[in-house]
Amino acid sequence: MGLELTVDNLVKRFGTRELFAIEQLQVREGESVHLKGENGVGKTTLMKIMAGLEKPCSGTVIVTPKQRRWWSGRIHPDVIYLHQTPYVFMSKVIDNVAYGLKLRGGSRQNIKIKVKQALVWARLEHLAEQPAHSLSGGERQRLALARAWILAPRLLFLDEPTANLDRHSVSTVAELVSQLLKQGTTIMVSSHQSNRVTELCTRHLLLEGGALHEGVHHENMPHEIDSMMEPQRYAQH
Amino acid sequence: MAILLSAIPAILVGFLLAMTDFPGRWIVIAVFNALMAVPTVVIGLTLYLLLSRSGPFGEMHLLFSQPAMVIGQILLCFPVLVCMSHAAFQGIDRRAWETARTLGAHCARASVTLACEARFALLAALLAGFSRIISEVGCSMMVGGNILGYSRNIPTAIALETSKGEFAQGIALGFVLLLLALVLNFALASVRGKGQLV
Ligand SMILES: Nc1ncnc2c1ncn2[C@@H]1O[C@H](COP(=O)(O)OP(=O)(O)O)[C@@H](O)[C@H]1O
Ligand SMILES: [Mg+2]
Repeated sequence: MGLELTVDNLVKRFGTRELFAIEQLQVREGESVHLKGENGVGKTTLMKIMAGLEKPCSGTVIVTPKQRRWWSGRIHPDVIYLHQTPYVFMSKVIDNVAYGLKLRGGSRQNIKIKVKQALVWARLEHLAEQPAHSLSGGERQRLALARAWILAPRLLFLDEPTANLDRHSVSTVAELVSQLLKQGTTIMVSSHQSNRVTELCTRHLLLEGGALHEGVHHENMPHEIDSMMEPQRYAQH
Repeated sequence: MAILLSAIPAILVGFLLAMTDFPGRWIVIAVFNALMAVPTVVIGLTLYLLLSRSGPFGEMHLLFSQPAMVIGQILLCFPVLVCMSHAAFQGIDRRAWETARTLGAHCARASVTLACEARFALLAALLAGFSRIISEVGCSMMVGGNILGYSRNIPTAIALETSKGEFAQGIALGFVLLLLALVLNFALASVRGKGQLV
């Protein structure tokens, strides 16, 4: 059965200021959604609420099929949210990647193999033994992706994954995201402007003035320079 | 001994104060901050009054015993531990919690992760609590009674030797304490240094 996330009459307020009110939103498995909106309209807040990390003031977020453990609360195990600037645990890169898998349990051998795969996938294998704090912004973003990828999430929230990255890192992240999409992961990307990652999305949502609008935006800004530089990103690795 | 007894509950209190938001939270924090600065003799006096024959816990005959000293020491280091672990957990990014949770950690496991992230600050908290204990005379003296071989510890022994005029003995014991403090602090510094370099 496909994963489905339904948002119903969601309202979020900070103090007396209403950030947004959303009547209805459905995200089905296999979709790729771009959540657009200016800075400060509440994209981060909305995605955290949808991922179960924050409480709405009213309304519901339901993920079906339910897979609740008594302790998991609002957080669905197949739903993962990635911060705009990822938090890295004070340990080695390899331990950061293994974190979620160790929580799930399983044989050491198995974990080791999967971590190795994830590192290769995110092109971090040369940094495996480095302390995660020494990584650059782009490498941290890839680390966060690997840390999520290893858990095979079915719905992944990416909060402005390219906001603080240089162009080269952006194309690497875009590459990883397109692979996630090919694997059938449902993705929701927030971004205040369109870029290489949001171009991969087929559905566009606009959060504006506290309301959510549906729309297919054909951005008239092809990223020619980026495409011209594409071959380079393989050359460098 | 006392530090071990109080470490876990104190760190838990510090954690709760940092993570939860309940009305009056800042009052609790302020109270613990104030307690941190209370002179040790005052705590000793309070405990003395509580434990003495005519006090509310008089029947337990705890005055001038080791349990009484341990209770005193717990009272001394608890506020220090609470305040410093509160600061430690507050220094941790809220994204750390969210990252742990979204990657499938339940609340208890995510808390452990946070404690790991704050490990150096927590270690420093333990050390500060321990310093408070080994540097005080007042409380031990009042409720322990400084009985030789039973409730005498190094600080109270120093106080006694000095009042007897036996300065050499006092100075020697003082060096022992100084050494102890230095060793502990160096140990912490080296662990921390390693943690940052690796
Ligand atoms: N914990 C909070 N307390 C008060 N206001 C908040 C909190 N979190 C976010 N906000 C406010 O909500 C607004 C939207 O924030 P955010 O969701 O980060 O927007 P975006 O990601 O679209 O830039 C901001 O104006 C911010 O000030
Ligand atoms: Mg944001």
